[in-house]
Amino acid sequence: MAVGENTRPILFQGHGLLRAILPTMWERPLSKRQLGLLLALAGCAGSVAVLAIDILDAGREGGLGPAQSLALGGTLLILLVGLSLLPLGDRPA
Amino acid sequence: MPAERPVFFPFLFRMHKALMWAALLLLFAYLLVFLTYAANLIQFPFDYDQGEGFELVDTLLFSQGRWPWQDVETYPFYSSNYPPLFHLLAVPFAWLYGPSYAYGRLLGTLATLVAAGAIVFAVRRDGGPGLLAPLSGLAFIASNTIYHIGPLNRQHMSMVMFETLAIVVLANMESVRYSRQRRRIFWAGLALILAAGYTKQLALATALAAMAFLFIRRPLRGLQFSAGLALIGGGIFLLLTFATEGQWWLQTISANVNRYDPQQALGLLQQWFGLHGFLVVPAFLYLLYELYVDRLSIYSVWLVAALVFGLLSGKWGAGDSYFSTAIAATCILAGVGCSRFLARLPEGQILRAAPGFLLIPLLFLGYGRAVLHLPTNTAPFDSLAALMEIKPNAPNGLYDSARSPAGDFPPGYADIGHLTSSEDLRAGEELVAIVRAVEGPVLSEDASFALLAGKDVVTNPTQLLNLANNGLYRGDVLLEMLREQAFGLIILRAGFFPGTVLQAIDENYGPAQVITMNGFDYRLYRPRPAKAK
Repeated sequence: MAVGENTRPILFQGHGLLRAILPTMWERPLSKRQLGLLLALAGCAGSVAVLAIDILDAGREGGLGPAQSLALGGTLLILLVGLSLLPLGDRPA
Repeated sequence: MPAERPVFFPFLFRMHKALMWAALLLLFAYLLVFLTYAANLIQFPFDYDQGEGFELVDTLLFSQGRWPWQDVETYPFYSSNYPPLFHLLAVPFAWLYGPSYAYGRLLGTLATLVAAGAIVFAVRRDGGPGLLAPLSGLAFIASNTIYHIGPLNRQHMSMVMFETLAIVVLANMESVRYSRQRRRIFWAGLALILAAGYTKQLALATALAAMAFLFIRRPLRGLQFSAGLALIGGGIFLLLTFATEGQWWLQTISANVNRYDPQQALGLLQQWFGLHGFLVVPAFLYLLYELYVDRLSIYSVWLVAALVFGLLSGKWGAGDSYFSTAIAATCILAGVGCSRFLARLPEGQILRAAPGFLLIPLLFLGYGRAVLHLPTNTAPFDSLAALMEIKPNAPNGLYDSARSPAGDFPPGYADIGHLTSSEDLRAGEELVAIVRAVEGPVLSEDASFALLAGKDVVTNPTQLLNLANNGLYRGDVLLEMLREQAFGLIILRAGFFPGTVLQAIDENYGPAQVITMNGFDYRLYRPRPAKAK
């Protein structure tokens, strides 16, 4: 028996599973853990972006400005809220 | 304590009811203050808040089939920096009544009342029966910020109205059983958010909140909603950009990137909390409960988004009005949270329930005290002010708790809210008469004098300044006209022109007269004699 003959049904089965899982995933509400993960990622990316302004904009002087500090505080808060949601598991957010 | 119950519980319940009614009465009084202020402004034919006149010009331009987003380098150097919906709503009135502030102010007043009604509806539907629903709606109108911007000929409250309606419509979409009804709610919410966005750009906060909430509840629907908004909203945006040869993009987007002052934002945030703290605290406690225990409602997501966008109040030209969406969200969330808290109080354990029963009305009573504002020289509020020994701390006899006893307030807080008087009316008429007597065009920082005198409205000063701050304005023709003293008269109020224009005014025009209207000094400048033609 050729390899393809064995793998094809498995692949089709996998494809069917994918088709079954994906829409369900998109139809389901986010869990508290998933929301926490998204917030933690957003907070992390936001903090890096705020800090990167100093690195990318070489002409700036004086380190973190007041507006930057405000933004950094906000992004760190998002990160903390996200992390605090991670242990709450699969309950709907 | 079963033996206590027959005696204690009815007493506690009666006490709770009495306090709730007292809070309702107090907040209802603010509705009367609001309506008095609105009626006063609707009858006042001149500018009141800075910028009202230019919103009227936008309406008049639309009524003539012209775009308000124009090239500011050519005469009359005018352009709007706002989206069109509020002005379009006022167009039928402009056809009927011509240039008048009355209908715009009436629309603002109605928008405030509709937003308050939507808050009442939301708290009643999602919180339950009782007095908390009307209390929450009245709390919205009682806010110092909502009070003073509600009855203006400005687009802000119409945006808040559309935002509130959108959120209330979308709140329970997932619990609707029938797909056809769900689709209707989906499209109605989307249309209302687009309406809010095309009333004022700041509605982006509500659009993001709606998208995030729908994504959390059902990611696919969130993505569909975002795609719908992007396609329809983006389509209208492109259409306007092409139809105005790029002026829509330049005037409403590029010109709105302004200098940001974090101290102003933090000052206004502190003031927002100081005034609304009695409702902000329960709203945030309920938000935390939803975040960690229950499921997040759209109101919680909305409050967070609105508060973040409220921090944009540090931008030049922004102010306390940027917190009005957050105030609406606070009122709903506090109302729903308090309703659910009351419903969960253990009836069998009276002593445990007692603090909760008393706390809720006391919160609203405390809020009513924190937002205290009333005219101290107008019946029937004058006798109340005398009884409470309230001294005015704002123009024309207004007391406003957002200000210090000496009348100070944080930068960005709007210096309005006072009633206009017969002296203000006379001052406005005098200004119109002076403008009418001048030959040629008049450069005025407020539009009403030129409009009522039948002259061209020349420039929108703050828009020139917005553009100049972004390096998008040269002003050669206007500067040349100033050097040639082409304007017979210049009227300044706050001096919100670009520096080059102010310098040209100073070099070619001299101060002639100061006329005070609504507590603001209108400084009149005439051509300097040495150069006068």
